[in-house]
Amino acid sequence: MKRILLVEDEKPLALLYEEELREEGYAVTVVHDSESAVAKLKAEEFDLLITDIRMPGRDGIDLITQVMGLRKTIPIIINSAYQSYKDDFMTWAADAYVVKSSSLAELKAKIKELLER
Amino acid sequence: MIETYHFQDTDFQQESSRELTLLSIISQSYFQPFSLEDNLLLILTALTSGSGVGFNRVMYFRLDGNRLRGEAWLGPRSPEEARSVWEVLSTPGIGYVEIIEHNRALLSVNEDTLTRRIRKLSFAASGEPCLLPGAVACHRKIVLVRDAAHEPQVDPRLLETIGVDEFLCLPLLARDEVLGVFILDNAFTHNPIQTRDVKLAAICGLLAANYVHTANLYRRLVESEKMAAMGKVAMFITHQIRNPLVTIGGFTDQLMEDGCDEDKQRRNLKIIRDEVRRLEDIVYKVGHFLKVTLKEPVYADVKPALEAAVREGEAAAREKGVLFQVKLEKDPPLVFCDPATLGEVARNLIDNAVEATPAGGKVTLHAHRGKDARAFVLSVHDTGKGISAADKEKLFRPFFTTKEKGMGLGLPFIKRVMDTCGGEVEVRSREGQGTHFLLTFPSQDERRPS
Repeated sequence: MKRILLVEDEKPLALLYEEELREEGYAVTVVHDSESAVAKLKAEEFDLLITDIRMPGRDGIDLITQVMGLRKTIPIIINSAYQSYKDDFMTWAADAYVVKSSSLAELKAKIKELLER
Repeated sequence: MIETYHFQDTDFQQESSRELTLLSIISQSYFQPFSLEDNLLLILTALTSGSGVGFNRVMYFRLDGNRLRGEAWLGPRSPEEARSVWEVLSTPGIGYVEIIEHNRALLSVNEDTLTRRIRKLSFAASGEPCLLPGAVACHRKIVLVRDAAHEPQVDPRLLETIGVDEFLCLPLLARDEVLGVFILDNAFTHNPIQTRDVKLAAICGLLAANYVHTANLYRRLVESEKMAAMGKVAMFITHQIRNPLVTIGGFTDQLMEDGCDEDKQRRNLKIIRDEVRRLEDIVYKVGHFLKVTLKEPVYADVKPALEAAVREGEAAAREKGVLFQVKLEKDPPLVFCDPATLGEVARNLIDNAVEATPAGGKVTLHAHRGKDARAFVLSVHDTGKGISAADKEKLFRPFFTTKEKGMGLGLPFIKRVMDTCGGEVEVRSREGQGTHFLLTFPSQDERRPS
């Protein structure tokens, strides 16, 4: 079973993603800030990281930088409410950028694509 | 007959203080808080008043695309009016403000005549054949026209309007851009236009053009800053609204799936209701912040408003397990602030402090006379996580927030209130050690009103 680490500070939204991705057959671990994400990444192995940007504490972009520092080759999906961060070159370090939408179809398709790669 | 002059003038000598005074008045227009129109008129006055360059009248045409459009025509309507105007403007000690006032009065009188006539005029400033004055904008040369009635290069409509035989066309150049054209004449004195007059007018023209250019740049800068600020606001609101919308949409989809049991249905409905309330709250807060006009500050007894804010704060602190310590001066002075507004300010500070403080921490509110008897201090201290130096700089910017569900509108509101009542805000904070907000309001003792 593929393991996904989901970083999302909005708790109801995190719950929605968690349930929906479990239903797709993934093992999902949810954390609400990037410090906890780094700790999890150091302690456990994951197949995919999904992170929001613009969270309290360390930002999602910071998290990506740290993941790169950990020399983890884990694929990363940025899942943001902001369309405009696509222009920030640091987000290019991620493998995909999905703007949050109530239809999770695009996110699910990207996850599938990256995990099969 | 036509004579052409160049802008680069090596043999011009500032012989008398007259020119210096004129140039100094024009230069001042760069720094005055008057409108672009007022300042331009001042430059036109300098060109026409007896103490200035000494032309009788000046027309100003603005270049709009490839057409010159009439904007203003300054000058007296008769030799008598000319004499009286020049007397006024030659009064020793007359200053910038008086000239602006004079121009406004003159324009209101002349509204029916000169300026109204010229505003109906427009000339092509490109293409062939390009007649005067359009040709001046096209070829960027200063042109002195003599015996205009027999000069085929002059547009007959200009001749008909201006009604003189001799006039000077001066292009307004800033960098590589033509901004417009000045046309100067001596309709009343009939003095021939001398080479010296042309050269001085050319310098005034350069100053005027640079002034208009700078004013245009400044206007564009202000516009783009406004647009950038609007963009940030729009971006922030988009984010704030998108999250609850995605949540609502996602959980609604689950509700519509087969096999959604009753417990899950109830849970999803609760989440949806909570998110809808959150959306309402966002809409209310943004609307409140954008719309609210602050009441005029007055010296008032603010104790009841502070006590009400404290009561609400106590409830919030208790719920979170934070100790809330309050010291209100028993007989506070009259504070220069609308009491309800001050109450809202206090509530904002207390809410922030309680939110930033972990359970077991402490929030302290003190309200007392300052060291100076004319100051009243509201101080709120917390033992929370503190604010980083980088965040501290952005604290009072609308929509800046470090909170999970904050809108970033509380502190900008406080800043606005303090600016309105002439008070001050001080923030002392260290990461990991807590934050201290100190608000100082003007105040006075009831017993000794000043």
